[in-house]
Amino acid sequence: MKRMTKVATAVAMTLPLALIMSGCTSDTGPSEADDNTLTVWAWDPNFNIYALQEAEKIYQQDHPDFKLDIVETPWDDLQTKLTTLAQSQETSELPDIFLMQNNAFQKNVINYPDLFSDFSDSSVDYSQFPQAVADYSTIDGVNYGIPFDSGTAVQALRTDVLTEAGYTVADFTDITWDDFVTKAKDVLAKTGKPLLSGQAGSSDMIMMMLQSAGASLFDADGTPTIADNDALEAAIDTYIELVDAGIFIEVNSWDEYIGTFVNGSVAGTIQGVWIVGSIQTAADQSGKWAITDLPKLDGVSGATNYSANGGSSWAVSSNANVELAQDFLASTFAGSTALYDTILPKSGAVANWTPAGASDVYAQPSEFFGGQPIFADVVAFGADVPSNNTGAYYYEARDAVSAAITKIIGGADAKEALAEAQSTVEFAMG
Amino acid sequence: MAKRLRGLPGYLVLGIWTVFSLFPLYFMAVSATNSSQDVLASRLIPGTELFTNIAALFAAQDVARAMGSSFAIAAGTTVLALLVCSVAGYGFEVYHSKGKDVLMGVLLLAMMIPFAATMIPLFQVFAKLGLVNSLVAVIVPSVSTPLLILLFRQSSRSFPSEILEAARMDGLNELSIFARIYVPTMRATFAAAGVITFMMAWNNYLWPRVILIKNEVQTMPMLIVNLSAGYVTDYGVLMLAVLLASLPTVVVFLVLQRSFANGITGAIK
Amino acid sequence: MSALTTTPGGRGGSSDARDLKRRWLGTDRRHNLTGWAFLLPAALLIVLVSFVPMIQAFILSLQTGRGTRLEFADPLWYNYQRLLGDEIFKQTLGNTLIYLVIQVPIMLILAMVLANLLNNPNLRFKAFWRTAIFLPCAVSLVSYSLVFRTMFANDGFVNDVLTTFGGQPVNWLGEADTARFVLILGLLWRWTGYNMIFFLAGLQNIDRSTLEAARVDGANALQVFWRVTVPQLRPIILLTAIMSTNGTLQLFDESWALTRGGPAYASMSVSHYLYEVSFQRNPNFGYGAALAYVILILVAVLAFIQMKVGDKRG
Repeated sequence: MKRMTKVATAVAMTLPLALIMSGCTSDTGPSEADDNTLTVWAWDPNFNIYALQEAEKIYQQDHPDFKLDIVETPWDDLQTKLTTLAQSQETSELPDIFLMQNNAFQKNVINYPDLFSDFSDSSVDYSQFPQAVADYSTIDGVNYGIPFDSGTAVQALRTDVLTEAGYTVADFTDITWDDFVTKAKDVLAKTGKPLLSGQAGSSDMIMMMLQSAGASLFDADGTPTIADNDALEAAIDTYIELVDAGIFIEVNSWDEYIGTFVNGSVAGTIQGVWIVGSIQTAADQSGKWAITDLPKLDGVSGATNYSANGGSSWAVSSNANVELAQDFLASTFAGSTALYDTILPKSGAVANWTPAGASDVYAQPSEFFGGQPIFADVVAFGADVPSNNTGAYYYEARDAVSAAITKIIGGADAKEALAEAQSTVEFAMG
Repeated sequence: MAKRLRGLPGYLVLGIWTVFSLFPLYFMAVSATNSSQDVLASRLIPGTELFTNIAALFAAQDVARAMGSSFAIAAGTTVLALLVCSVAGYGFEVYHSKGKDVLMGVLLLAMMIPFAATMIPLFQVFAKLGLVNSLVAVIVPSVSTPLLILLFRQSSRSFPSEILEAARMDGLNELSIFARIYVPTMRATFAAAGVITFMMAWNNYLWPRVILIKNEVQTMPMLIVNLSAGYVTDYGVLMLAVLLASLPTVVVFLVLQRSFANGITGAIK
Repeated sequence: MSALTTTPGGRGGSSDARDLKRRWLGTDRRHNLTGWAFLLPAALLIVLVSFVPMIQAFILSLQTGRGTRLEFADPLWYNYQRLLGDEIFKQTLGNTLIYLVIQVPIMLILAMVLANLLNNPNLRFKAFWRTAIFLPCAVSLVSYSLVFRTMFANDGFVNDVLTTFGGQPVNWLGEADTARFVLILGLLWRWTGYNMIFFLAGLQNIDRSTLEAARVDGANALQVFWRVTVPQLRPIILLTAIMSTNGTLQLFDESWALTRGGPAYASMSVSHYLYEVSFQRNPNFGYGAALAYVILILVAVLAFIQMKVGDKRG
């Protein structure tokens, strides 16, 4: 035993040292000697990274020497890395391109302009993107990103459950929330299934309602508009009604939320279109779903049936081979219908880029969704989504509203809770 | 008969705690054999998806490389930390002085600040040294920790001083005493320190994820987070990855645990 | 009775001690210097990787501004002042202190008891118990938080068991008190085995003969434990107490991954809030650094008290 531990120790000592040595020398600097390679940071191999790989192939048709070096980086890590690099002023370690959540875009550009290169000199035609989506990455009129995946919100429903209660998807299309509540209560009574679920204390649902009415948590100057916000109050009132009636089930974690519709305890959901991937993991529910637009808020001027949640855009860093990066992005994500056609069927990545939506692939019926050409429908929704002011303090505001919602559900007065939320945000901004 | 009954409360306590400890792990193991849908439904019976999950995991991520990376970091950290900290702890205790007590207190301060606050200045240091993305940068901050130094110092309190004197009279120099007498005697402490350090280094996430920027050096914890960072998470695959990631620490524990086994007395004969 | 009062290493008689002392003093200075040499590498490393960043963090805590546009605050302690008016900070501080006061004592006592049980020469299947109790530490954070969340979900395993036995399902992660309870449970689950290892190693260093002598003198198991084992374990108890206090006051992982600080900050720890302020919200690093220093001061004060009370040599 003693000899074994001696040998083991020797091995344990030499092996890591050898690996460390190799780690030391193989670190190629960030400035690629190769002018035809771009480094990209993105997450999700089934979605974003897959799209990048297809884009690479398309660009290689005209640029055979081109290569893409994709580093898989979860969003949270990416944000931390960006912040770290910016704060320590080590922007030489930045990749050429990185993906960024739409909700965080403005915050990052406002705080760390040194990380970005803008798109003013690029060949991208921003009129080909819906205004609402391009606005996320537009600060002071300058574009800093190319919108990629669409966060357009959809209402997904189980058609078999609706049929059981005597309804069809058309009964839930282009309606108001009041109408929805009435019908959903009926469905619940007849089938025992609620139509919606979500994370308790998460403001996703309310934010979507808010955006559908063209309202935001901040005005154009960046002042918080949480208190005295009619649309917000209407949204919260509706939400409370949904929860109280048992139509909206609150769960405590994201995985639980996914579990509710994947395992059939809930018969629908309202979420960004990217939720479709999760819905489809329930193979036994194929053919039993359909998509439609959202109900609109009653009594609120500017209310629509369209909204968004999430989505992301590509940014080009300040350390990049700007010309190549912007040309690559412009030719693929902002210029290639072939790309969007390829990635749509496999990953469900819905384009924001309007010309893409017109292609045949988008009009393909989806078997899981009962033959509905969901993607064409979603692109149509996307065109009508109202803009949203995010600003630099978006996460603070969302958190404050989430906390307020939790209190209101617990019985607090809505106006008071929202006023408190407003002062919390003002404190955070101070 | 009476003897067996006397041990019963002990066995009961151990038994209850073991069930509590193992149950979530059982759930994890079972989940690795189930489909994502079943995992979300809290299915407790093993399923048939193990091979599907394995195939999916290896197709989605470079598991071998991440395991290698994590192992290099963990092994390197453990060996260096044991070396550096045992010597320090020994120094603090065996050559005790008031000044050293004060220094120990000061060094302890170093572990009392949350990492999030020192992360960026630390990053700057390593960036200036050109060590971003290297395993060295991951290992160095974890080599000398107040925890290990304190562990060795406290454990050295039970190291008998007559042995020290006897060795000195035999003409051994200080370093030999440490290497030839202290190390074998304190085997239990070294084993414990080894397990702890390996485990912490293996599961370390906050620092590697900032300093490591390329796929080639990605660690297992980073790989696991990758799996849950997408729009659709396959929970069966995730649990499988976690299981795989837990194995090395368990192996290290199994190898070293006999050193804190009962029967080997602390008193040196 | 001498067995119960014997000191480790068998340094019993006082005349021996004086002898030793004389011999020590002779070569004292040389040994002292050797000692300093022994601890130099470790100390230098810590200065480089911890103290230098800490000083920078302190300077940061005196600055205000967003992102990289930082400048010294007016007054200098502005961030610290701001803390006093920060409701979320107060909530997280309260949460963290609750965790400290409840979880740490339970965990340490449990770890000691378990280690002591495992140290019994007559115990069967020792390796099995040891491994089973240690395993929770080996599992990564992401997974065990997912498992716990699933188990404590509204329609999860724990509620299923409760309803089978006639109880009511509990909204574990949705209510403030139960969310904290689940977090504490998670901490106990994960870290008891970890501390048990320290105690096991410490128990190895205890002279068996002291225990035998006590038993021969007529003490029962509990008395042997309390009056012979525990005093000799004192250095390790101090170690684990300091480490657990430090770990719990700096708690981040469980708040981040298990309860996500919910509901509405009811289970969030100060460290988690620090991370949010620095990296998730609009980055306010000066304020985050001030938060860090508050934690540091708390831990340092408590550790100092613990050292004063518990650090008896020889």
